[in-house]
This record gives sequence, structure tokens and C-alpha cells, in this order.
Amino acid sequence: MLEHVQLDQKTINKDLLGGVLGTPSWWLPTVLFLTLVVFTGLGAFGYMMNKGLGVTGLNRPVFWGFFLVNFVFWIGISHAGIMISAILRLTQAEWRRPVTRAAEVMTVFSLMAALHTPLFHVGRPWRDFWVFPYDFARGVWPNVRSPFVWDPSAVMTYLIGSSLFVFIALIPDLAVVRDRAKNVWVKRLYSGLCLGWRGTPRQWKLQAVAGILLSALVLPVFVSVHSIVSWDFAVVIGVEGWHSTIFAPYFIIGAIHSGVSAVAMLMALGVWMWKLDKYIRPDHFDAIARLLIVVATTWFFFFFLEWVFALYTLEGPEIVLRELQVFQWPYSALFIVFIVTAYFIPVPMWMFKSVRRSAFWMLITTILVNVGMWLERFIIIIPGLLRRQPLTFDWGTYHPSIVEILIVAETFAFVALGMLLFSKLFPLIPLFDIKEGMTNRREFKIGRLTIPATVRE
Amino acid sequence: MAESWGMIVDLDRCTGCQACVVACQSENNIPINEEEHFNQRRAIQWIRVERYWEGEFPNVRARFVPIFCQHCSDAPCEPVCPVYATYHNSEGLNVQVYNRCIGTRFCANGCPYHARFFNFWEPEWPESLTNQLNPDVTVRSRGIMEKCTFCIQRIRRTKRAATKSEGDSSAETIFANPELERALSPACVNACPTDTLVFGDLFEMLSARRAGERLPKPKNRAQEIVRRELQDAENGRGYRVLEEKGTNPSVIYLSKVDKETVEEAVSHG
Amino acid sequence: MASSARAAPHAPRHADPRVAEPPTSPSETTGFLVGKHLRLGDNFWRAVAVFGIFSILGVIGFVVRLGDGMGETAAWGYYVAMFSFIITAASAAPMVAIAPRMANSHWRRPISRAAELWSVVGLLSLLWFIPILWILPPLSDGRRSLWFFDMNHPNLVPSYTPHIWASAAILGLVVTGLALVWVSCLPDFASIARRAPEGSFQRRWSLWMARGWQGTSRQWHMVKRRMGILGAFYFMMLVFVHFLISVDFLMTLVPGWIDALYPVTHAANALQAAAATMVLTAWILRTFCGYERYIGLDQIWGLGKLMFALSLLWFWFWFSSFNVLWYGKMPFEQAVIELLITGPYLWVFMAVFMLVFVIPLWTLVWNPVRHSLWGPPLIAVGILVGTFLDRIRLYVAAYSVPGIGNPSVHKHVLDFDHLPKTVMPDIWDIFIMLGAIGLIALVYMAASRLFPIMNMWEQRELQLYDRGHAPYHRAHVRVMGKSE
Repeated sequence: MLEHVQLDQKTINKDLLGGVLGTPSWWLPTVLFLTLVVFTGLGAFGYMMNKGLGVTGLNRPVFWGFFLVNFVFWIGISHAGIMISAILRLTQAEWRRPVTRAAEVMTVFSLMAALHTPLFHVGRPWRDFWVFPYDFARGVWPNVRSPFVWDPSAVMTYLIGSSLFVFIALIPDLAVVRDRAKNVWVKRLYSGLCLGWRGTPRQWKLQAVAGILLSALVLPVFVSVHSIVSWDFAVVIGVEGWHSTIFAPYFIIGAIHSGVSAVAMLMALGVWMWKLDKYIRPDHFDAIARLLIVVATTWFFFFFLEWVFALYTLEGPEIVLRELQVFQWPYSALFIVFIVTAYFIPVPMWMFKSVRRSAFWMLITTILVNVGMWLERFIIIIPGLLRRQPLTFDWGTYHPSIVEILIVAETFAFVALGMLLFSKLFPLIPLFDIKEGMTNRREFKIGRLTIPATVRE
Repeated sequence: MAESWGMIVDLDRCTGCQACVVACQSENNIPINEEEHFNQRRAIQWIRVERYWEGEFPNVRARFVPIFCQHCSDAPCEPVCPVYATYHNSEGLNVQVYNRCIGTRFCANGCPYHARFFNFWEPEWPESLTNQLNPDVTVRSRGIMEKCTFCIQRIRRTKRAATKSEGDSSAETIFANPELERALSPACVNACPTDTLVFGDLFEMLSARRAGERLPKPKNRAQEIVRRELQDAENGRGYRVLEEKGTNPSVIYLSKVDKETVEEAVSHG
Repeated sequence: MASSARAAPHAPRHADPRVAEPPTSPSETTGFLVGKHLRLGDNFWRAVAVFGIFSILGVIGFVVRLGDGMGETAAWGYYVAMFSFIITAASAAPMVAIAPRMANSHWRRPISRAAELWSVVGLLSLLWFIPILWILPPLSDGRRSLWFFDMNHPNLVPSYTPHIWASAAILGLVVTGLALVWVSCLPDFASIARRAPEGSFQRRWSLWMARGWQGTSRQWHMVKRRMGILGAFYFMMLVFVHFLISVDFLMTLVPGWIDALYPVTHAANALQAAAATMVLTAWILRTFCGYERYIGLDQIWGLGKLMFALSLLWFWFWFSSFNVLWYGKMPFEQAVIELLITGPYLWVFMAVFMLVFVIPLWTLVWNPVRHSLWGPPLIAVGILVGTFLDRIRLYVAAYSVPGIGNPSVHKHVLDFDHLPKTVMPDIWDIFIMLGAIGLIALVYMAASRLFPIMNMWEQRELQLYDRGHAPYHRAHVRVMGKSE
């Protein structure tokens, strides 16, 4: 089924290093614009730090707002890199080859973006480091019972693990850049980065083993990170609608849904912006869209279970909350947008082969999914915090302020900027992986059928 | 000392006069709540009198329920704090250490009573009021949580005074002396004109209740009320707010008695 | 996968006797497998004798239990636990064929039919389910329900809603499973019909079951397509059945047990048990039934890895539920934890925890155990015993909660101080347990007489994909076709 374009190594080098050794014309304006957005966001953060959290829309009882929504969203996006790379690598799915690098890099940058908001949103951000088990001055260790202590440890572990993952896979490509760099300083930079890579059999073996080992080790971390993020909410009994046992798997599958969608979006952008259509084929979109149908439907099942068991309790406050989420303005509108964009538009569209194989439609549907998934986190977090529950004297409302919106926009710009800068320094599609796929590929005929085959040691 | 401080709130006596709120405000250096703070929903009131309407017109009744930190024995706010800014001390108080707090507001989400407050702004007082600040109470900076402390500064001060004058700082000694009792009781208790609030050491009562045992012989006035009203599920008026959440609060509420209920009880003999 | 190379037609003969090396010619494969199907060994009849005795004991146990009457819910705890065990251990096993087939894993080929055949055991679960319809009171008797039964408007939702839906779902699952086996067997039935002796039962049966199979490309296309659809449908039905069973026949009986994750956990436990069932099946086929040329290390190893992953999943699901319930410290949730985990069934839970998580984790993580013929089967036995105990722990505890069928008891939470005590099995319960095991085995063995237990055409297909060794730079490598 995979129609295949066999390319020689020279063409691969030329195509894929195009972004590194040359610069597309749109690159600089885009980077400048994103830098502007990032600095505006950082300025907003500085203002918030100076004046206090009063400049946000947070209040009592809505103590967590856009910042936490955004945190969960980016943690979710970050799950795609590992999902695509580790799982597909371990199961030896061939279609992973062109997408792994971009997915992993997105993991790293979205994790950094995810770290922004919770670190910014605390009352005294200059003391954030107190949540780490590092403390010589106070003599007090962090409270290990708190999910906010599990969170930073898990996210940092994940960040370190996935950075290593990116780096290990990058080494052979860095050597290629080193060999082709004209400028002596650039050459020195890449010589240092590629750690003396010569491509000897021993080096290849170590690189492959390290990749597989990291895939296997990073998977439990990936599961733990989002489970812990979900427990930030689920362990709390003070807020109706959060105390649900399904939260950990529900968050994970939701993260995979939004994350894999984001990878498909990146693939479509690669085709559109870097003209990588020789490497990212319609078949790749087809494979990822099929995966997305399964993931989205599983996610929907978990969503259904969460609702069923919330209503099964037949408790007043829980039902009031669900009513608020579905029927009361503005949550009703957000809910409809969420459920339609996260499931009911994209999945029926992916049922059509023509949509699955079109970069344009995949771009549209996956953006929709991520709009929906951002709103999903909003719908979970905010209506619960409005506290339409016993002791109803404190019903809340929440309107995000311009500061929050700027900081949220900053995280999006930050990830895009990070990816663009990365693409200037390193190839976004792994050269060695593509070459390996091309070299290992065989074809043979059975009757009228052409069967692709791969080489196994 | 193994005290477990607790409060009794007799809703039948509460008139909703807000004296407790004002007393708390001035005792604990709580910033002045201006109109904009209420509009922003960021007003800080460690004790607040919640007012509910009950019944249909014309038989509408106002219900006043003073709500403040319940000093739960199994407080949901405590385990979620990453920096141990809130923890349970040996006197049954849920204490807040301002210097440790980094302001994650996780505790506030965990609290089902909405008893925790966040300093969204740097607190400010008009020039004329700067000299009225209580020197025994920290002025909280912005970015941290705060809540009712049962006026821990008064407890500490009175215990020291009792050790000096009586040579003993146990609850019995203090409550035997009306002057010391008044010094130890929280500001809201002293300010309450109708004796709605009763403060005392409920150690025996709370631990028996927690273990699911019968309440023992009362040792003081507060324990007497608790035993009378909480022991008998049928006739007693005592209850604890949101008890089904399993938080084991240290505050016992006595329910309101309506005129009709009494008349009905009398007519039925 | 390195080892799939070893079954190569042109490979140098491998020294490792644990690796299966099937014959390389299609006719030899078919001839051998048809021969195996038509001939019965002594081991078969020995097993029939043992499991037959078990089954008879089970029937005796059931009849004696009937004497107690259907209304005594607590007495039927072990019976219902056995129903759940049957549906847990057997009904998910076809997934071991369906999932690797979708992923085009070659190692599944020798065991895919054995896995699909487990869906026939669904017939037993259907039969076993019938008495439960009477054991479990209707909604109008005042138990909690997923179906929002309203006492004041009893006509809105039929009082027997859980019974109707669960029966329909199990029936649907069994029918889908049987259809899947049948479709996948069509080409093999044609092979058997051609080779079986004239006039024998097997010949007439296979001829009829083959439904005029000729092997045209249209027919092959149809078979593959239907197998894909039925496989996907089977998975959905499986999740649906586990959802209904775990909610309507377990969770709603324990007031206050509100665990949105549990239906998924129930299904995930079934997948783990299914992997264990298949490891054991593969090992038995290799060791006692003479399939050692077909089933070898690759299969046991592949399933072992699956079992390992599913053990981790078991822990994750269990901990996700437990952590949230335990951390919240709400009294009614503490009571549920006390009833199911730390209270009357503490030691059972400990055994379950060891058998299905701790032991598999710390043994299968170790290469010498995972990559061996004896390791995974041993762990699989542990996992099956663990699942067996797990079902007893949950169902017996749930069915012993007082007042299930009593309309006057409309409880919403468990009373912490009056939790039911441990319910020990009496001799009839033990008979019922033995009967469940015996009947599972008997039904499966009977099924293996009616359907060939080894997938002949998938085995032959492997020979098409395997292109043997090829020079590759300075080395020799294997080339394997990968259908996409």
C-alpha cells in the first residue's frame, strides 16, 4: 500500500539539510514575529510578578484558571513525541521514520512551555525551587504527599529523558552537517556536538541500543507524568467533578489524542512550509489518521465513562456541575465547540480516505482537535472551581484577564519559535533513519501483488 | 499539652450582626475590604456570616451561618501543600506558616469549606489605620494563603501569662479563670453579643468522635455542650458541616430551632 | 525482531531446539496439520477424563446450591465469581490473534487459531449466565443502578434493564466470536474436506462448514475483510460486555463504590488473563500435542512480552483507582477500600497483587526468564490463579453486602462499622470452582475437534512472505515481507 519513492543518499542530504544549510525566505519574518509575542508574554509575566496575581482574572473560589488549563494542554501535547517515537520504534512501524524527530522536539519544547505556566502562576514565583527536594537553608523538605511535588519531579525527569532521546537520535545527522559545513566555526560547533561520530559499527550499535533503551525507559515516565498531572485534580475532594478515579487514564488518552494530532499537524506544516512531500507521503498521513481514529474513539469512551459515573452518584452538586457545563452560558457554547471539534467533526472526516491522504485536510482537522482539547481542559477545570455546591455562598465567576491571555499566547509562540530555531540548527527529519528505511527496503512480487519487505538482522 | 481546640456555633443564637467579622478583621491585621475587592471576589474575611434564604414568600426566613476554618483533624488542605506551609500542630490547630507558602493555592481547592484566602494584592491600610495593626500578628504579603488561626497569638500569649501567674498553662487552669479565658478566646468569641460562639478544649470529645466511640464525661463547658448536643442523634442539635467528607472538623454547629417546630413538639406532647 | 529470522527456509540449521522450524513446503504443512486434526492422541482422552470428573462435580455443586434457593444472593457469590472468571480468562483470548494480525506480526500465525477458538468458550459463559438472571434482583427491588431507575416512575426504565442488556451483549459477543472463528476457518475446512476419509464425520462437517470455498481471490479478499471487521467488532463487544458486567453485576451491589475506571480495569484484567491463557495454550500445544515444529520460542516469547506489558497496565489501572479513593479519605470510599482490599479479603488481595503484578514484573523483566520456554508459562499459571482469586475477592465481597435484594434497604454508602465478614467457600462452592475449570477445558477441547486448532493458511502465507537470506553489504540478513 505504501507507494514509495526511492531516493539516493545525496538527494536526501540535500533535501533534508536544506533548512539547516540554507534559509527559507519566510523563516526570518516568522521568527521575528514569534519573538515579539514571546517577549510580550514575558513582559506580561514581569508585570504580574511586580503587581501580584491581582492582575489576572483569578479570584475566590476560581483559584486556578487559564494557567493550569494551559499547563495540562502542553503536557498533553508533549506526550505525542514519546508516543510516536518510543511505541512505534519498539513495534517497528515503518511509517514512523520521517515523523519521529519533529515529534520528539515538539515534546521537549512543549514540556518547557508547560513548565512556564505553573511556575508563573504561583503567588511567589521566586520561591518555586522550594518544591524540589533541595533545601539547605530552610531545613524543611518538600511535602512528598503533595501532587505538586510529584509533578515537578516527573516533568523534569521526562524533560531530561526526552532531551536525551532527541540528542541520541541526532548524533549521526550532526556528523553529516559537520562534514558539509563551510564555515569553520559552524564546523567546530557540530564537531563538538556530534561527539566524534565516525559511523563505525560499534558507534551505530551503541546509538541503536541507547535509542531502544531510552524508548523503553521513557514510556513509564510518560505514563507517570500525565497521571500525576491528573492527580493534581483527582485527589482533591473539595471540588465537585474532579474526584474521579478515571482521571489518570482519561488524561493520558486525551493527551495522546491531542499530541498525535499535533504531530499530524507538524507533518502537514512540513509538507507545506519545507516542501518535504517526497518524505512525508499521503500514506504517512493515512497511517497517522487511522491511529487517530482509534485514539479518539478510546478517548471518547473514557469521556463517556467519566460522565456516566458522575451522574450515577445522583448527588445534587455533581448534577448541578454537569448542568452548568452543558446548559449554562458561556460553558454551554464552549462545551458544544469542544465536543464537536474534539470528536464529532474530525473522526467522521477521517473515515474518508481522501481526507486521510490530504495534507490540507489533516492540517485543518488536527488544529480543530487541539482547539477542542484545550477547551476540554477548560471545561474540566473552571466549572468545577465555580463551586456550585454545598456552602454555596461563594459561587464564582471567571473572566481571564489580558495578562493571562498574553502569557498563554506566549507559550504557543515559544513552542513555535523553539521548533523554528531548532530547524535552523538541526534537520527536522532524521536523515539516518530515512536512509536506513530506504536501504532496508526490498520489494517482491507474489502473483500480481507487490509486497514491500524489510531487512531483519 | 494535648489540647484540641474547638469551637461551638449555636445557630439558634446567631443574629447575623457581623460583630465577629469586624473583631476578626481588626485582631488579625486583615486588609480593609473595599468595594472593589468584593466586586473582584477577592475580599478576605477569615470568618464570614453566610446568609441563606429559606422558604417561600411570605414565610421567608434568613439563616445565618458563620463559617471559618474548621480546623479539620483530617484536613484535605494539608497533604496537598508541596512546601509544608500548612500542617496540623499538636494542639489540633491547622496552622499556616506564611513564610513557607509559595502560593500554589492547591490547599484552597482542597478545602470544601472555602475557608482559605489568597492575597491577590499587597495589603494596604489607610494612613489613619497604620497604628492599629496588631503587633502580635504577621502582616501577610501578597502571593500567600491565609485563613482563620483560632487566634493562635492569643492562645500563645495567654498560656505564657498563665504559666507566669498560675504556674500552669493547662486548659483547665485557664478556663477556671474568667480573665484568662477571655484573653485566650478568639476575638470573634469575645465580640459575639449573643454568646453564639463558644471556644474550648474539645480533645476528649473529638478523639472519641473520630474513633467512633461514645463521648466521655465532659471536662469543661464546651465539652458539656458538645456531649449534650452531639451524642444524641435524635434530639441533639449538634452537627458538623460536610461531615460526610470525612474531614473531622473541630467546629460543632448547633442547628436553629424554629418557633413552629417547638410549637409542634409542645402540642404533640 | 531478531528471532523471526530463525524460521527461515534457507537459514542454516539452527542449534537452538527451542525455536520452532515449520516445514517449508505448503503441501507438507497442510498435510501435517490436517493429519494432526484428524487423529486424536491418548493425552486428549486423559484430559477429557480428568476435566469430565471436574465438570460432574461442578454440576453437583450447582444442583446443591440450587437447593438454597435463588434469593440468597450471598450464597451465590462464588458461582458469579466463576462466571466472571470464565468471561475474563477466555473471552479476551481472541484479541491475542486479532491485535497482532492488525499489526502484521508474523509470530502470531501458529497460535492465532488457538486464540480465536477461545471464543467458543463464550457459549459456556452464556449458559453459566442464565441462573444469574434470577440470582440478581431486579431494579425495582431497590438496588442502585447505572440505568437511573426511578422508583416513582417504574415504567420509564424496565426493572430488568441490566439483565436484558447484559444477556444481549454476551450473546452478541459469542455470536461475533463464533462468526470470527468460522470465517477464519473457511480455507482450512476446505483443506480438511479434501483430505479427510470418505464418509467420515469430519469430512461431511468440514465440507458443510467450508461453504463452497474455492480459494478465488474474491473469496480471499472477502475472508480477510470480514476477519478485520469481525475482529474490530469483537473488541468493541468485549469492552461493552465487561462494562455491563462490571457495573451492573458488581459495582452497583456495593453502595458507594463509584469508580469510573473500573469497567476499563475489568476489561484490561481480561486482556492480561487472555495473554496468560494463550501462553499456557501454546505451551500445552507444544509440549503435549505434538506441535513443536510450529510453536516455539517466538510465540512464547512474544506472548510473554505482552503479559509483561499488561501486568504493568494492571498496576497502573489499579493504582489510579486506589490512589484517588485512598487519598480523598472520604468515609464511604474508605469503607469500599476496606471491604475490597484491606479488610476481610486482605490476604486474597495480597496474593492477587503478588501473582498478577509483582511476580510477573520482577521475573519477566529478566531476559533469561522471558526468553525461555518455561518462564512465561510458569508466570502465566500465576497470573491465571491471581485473576481467579481477584474475581473471587471482588464478586464474593460484593454479593455478600447485605440488603441487595431488600426493597427497604436503599443505601447509598456502605456502613463502615457493619462490613460483611469474609465468606469462605463451602464444599459445594469448591465443586462449582472445579466445575468451572473442568467445563472451560472440556468446551475448548470439544471446539478443537470441530475447528482445526492450527491456522493452516496463515502458516502457508508466512512461507510467501519469508524471502530468506540475502547478502547485505558485508553481512547476511533476512528479508521479510510486511503486508501493509
